[in-house]
Amino acid sequence: MARHVTAAARALYADVVLTFGNVLFAVSLFVVWGILTLIGVIVDQGQSPDQYVQTYAPPIARAVLRLNLDNVYHSPWYVGIIGLILLSLAVCTFKRVIPARLPPLRPVKVERIPLHGLFETDGGERSVRERVAAFFAARGWRLRRRTFDGAEWSFADKYDWARRGVLVAHAGFVIIAAGTTLYWARGFSGELAVADGATSQVARTGAVIRLDDFAYRIAPTQTKSGMVYQPIDYVSHVTVSGRDGIARKMTVRVNHPIDVDGTLYYQASYGFGMRFRLERNGVSSSALAGRTLLEGDSFDVPGTGRSVLYERFVPTVDRTSGMPTADPRVNDPAAVVAVTQSGVPLGEVMLPLRGALDLGDGWRLIAQRYVLYSGFEYRHDPGVPLVGIGAFVLLAGLVISFYFLPARLYVRVDDLGSGRCRVGIAATTVKGYDVFESEFSRLMVALKACTS
Amino acid sequence: MNLPWDELLLAVALAAYTLGALALTVYFFSRDESFRKFGEPLAIVGCAAQFAQLAVRFETTHVWPLLNLYGSLSLFSAMSVAIFIGFAVRYRLWFAGGFVLALAAIFLAYGVTWYEGTMPPVPSLQSYWAKIHVPIVVSSYAAFLVAFVFSCIYLLKYYAQRARSAATARWLESLPALPQLDVIVYRAVAIGLPLISVGIITGAMWAHEAWGAYWQWDPKETAALFSWIVYLGYMHLHTRNAWRGLRTSWVSVIGFLSIIFCYLGVNIWISGLHSYKV
Repeated sequence: MARHVTAAARALYADVVLTFGNVLFAVSLFVVWGILTLIGVIVDQGQSPDQYVQTYAPPIARAVLRLNLDNVYHSPWYVGIIGLILLSLAVCTFKRVIPARLPPLRPVKVERIPLHGLFETDGGERSVRERVAAFFAARGWRLRRRTFDGAEWSFADKYDWARRGVLVAHAGFVIIAAGTTLYWARGFSGELAVADGATSQVARTGAVIRLDDFAYRIAPTQTKSGMVYQPIDYVSHVTVSGRDGIARKMTVRVNHPIDVDGTLYYQASYGFGMRFRLERNGVSSSALAGRTLLEGDSFDVPGTGRSVLYERFVPTVDRTSGMPTADPRVNDPAAVVAVTQSGVPLGEVMLPLRGALDLGDGWRLIAQRYVLYSGFEYRHDPGVPLVGIGAFVLLAGLVISFYFLPARLYVRVDDLGSGRCRVGIAATTVKGYDVFESEFSRLMVALKACTS
Repeated sequence: MNLPWDELLLAVALAAYTLGALALTVYFFSRDESFRKFGEPLAIVGCAAQFAQLAVRFETTHVWPLLNLYGSLSLFSAMSVAIFIGFAVRYRLWFAGGFVLALAAIFLAYGVTWYEGTMPPVPSLQSYWAKIHVPIVVSSYAAFLVAFVFSCIYLLKYYAQRARSAATARWLESLPALPQLDVIVYRAVAIGLPLISVGIITGAMWAHEAWGAYWQWDPKETAALFSWIVYLGYMHLHTRNAWRGLRTSWVSVIGFLSIIFCYLGVNIWISGLHSYKV
């Protein structure tokens, strides 16, 4: 019984090795990987289910949601296919790439190899052999001699070390995968918004960030299509306390993150918070006292069942039309607020700065002032060095594989008698014969000239 | 802003590419050497004019000229022609120049339609990586364009040979043998694939600096990954005798279509972190 199970396991292992070691199987996995990747490009990722229902026909929307195509890159399919590719890569590496790395020296039938040449020349066997050896040595070929069944063969190799190119590229891919896994296992990331003058603590790291000042610069630029308000700088001046508790003044800009205890903080966004005053019959309510609402925040009007959502900030309102303009610079600002009654929308209002909105039952909402806030992203990724090394190794492997062509020449010199010899040379490369054809022709012409 | 030199050099490049394309296309079909001798310098002049134009734009505006679709398409067509010239000189392949120059002219003219004037770069583009990542990626696209052209010629010859038409038999003989065409496609892909790999890696390094993650699954990143996978498939298939030639040529054609989708489709139709059109 045990022997039977062992035989079955061996057969299964052999099947797996055969399948996963097949290049065409690897390419099939690439096809599936490519299709899944393309789906992620075409289907907007990470949207709400309603969004897909609105965008696509019902059967497609259902398929997108049920098959996790709304978050395809983190779906079991995607992770699974990467896993299969890594398995295929490992099997190919150990079963194909490493054994083929240094092919054994053995005689061949010269005429049967498509890339071969035969010519006769004057001279004794030893002399011709020496001239052939000197020819290849002068051109950087590594020559080795072996005798098989009494016949002496010469084997000339060039770029032998480059046979490891594919192995190096595969190793790079594995190192990248390891670096990525390290982030999944040990890394973290998040976002935080800090209003001008406010302080915020990052729970994961304990770092305390105070936003001393945030500024942005917009350059109005006249283009052929009209005026474009091009953002040219976002800068946050912050005071940061890390693990050591020492407060340091730092500047965060796009492309210039700061490093606090191994966690990087990035300038990600900015926005306008609003200070509202809620009053009833002219008396201020404590409901919003000292609170800055960020875009998307809401609050309840006490005892009314009404909610007010601060939707967005409008930096400049056109005074003549009363509509928002495209100018992102703050000139005549307003806040767009939406009011709901027990969840039912009542309407949306653009409330100018210092303007008031009547909420009914004696309640009024007044837009008091705006406060700039800066949006930061933070990320701790211990896998970055590994991914970097992996990328470098992968690249080195690709360069070695593509730009150095390992070739082997099988050289045999036969004594024909009467002071003449026949030289037979066959060539093989790791990339077939066509790619080496012209070089082989040149080599043969030069060798004939050299030995004659 | 008035840029007379910029516009003049652009006009020279477009005119040279158009005339060169016509001359070398006639050469492709007729093998009349006088057309080759006419087309060769036009390709070189057009390419030189384009690089000069990019340099003049940078010198005049002090804005790295590759940060919008117009600038990157300019470099794309210039690099396509430059890589082709390298191949043509090294392997005597001027017969294919008509197609490369025609595509270069089309992409350059299309790029001009996106030109909106000089604008200061947005904060995320204000990085030294723009001078490294963009030229490398665009050069990889250019190498794939050259591979695409030779793949098409391979397929043209293959299917024409199969049709066994007496009228085309002699003309087909004037083209390189199919295995040689396959080797040319392979050599062009062997330039493009390492370049796009470096492009993706440098892009990841830039993203790590600008956005806080080296990989965000942005449509542009994933479209580039898709193209990389296609060409990786090409390289793996090319190791198999049975797949080398016809099938790998088709993969190269699909690969270039994926590049066009990645380059133009994603920039224009799909919004994401890389939506830098103008």
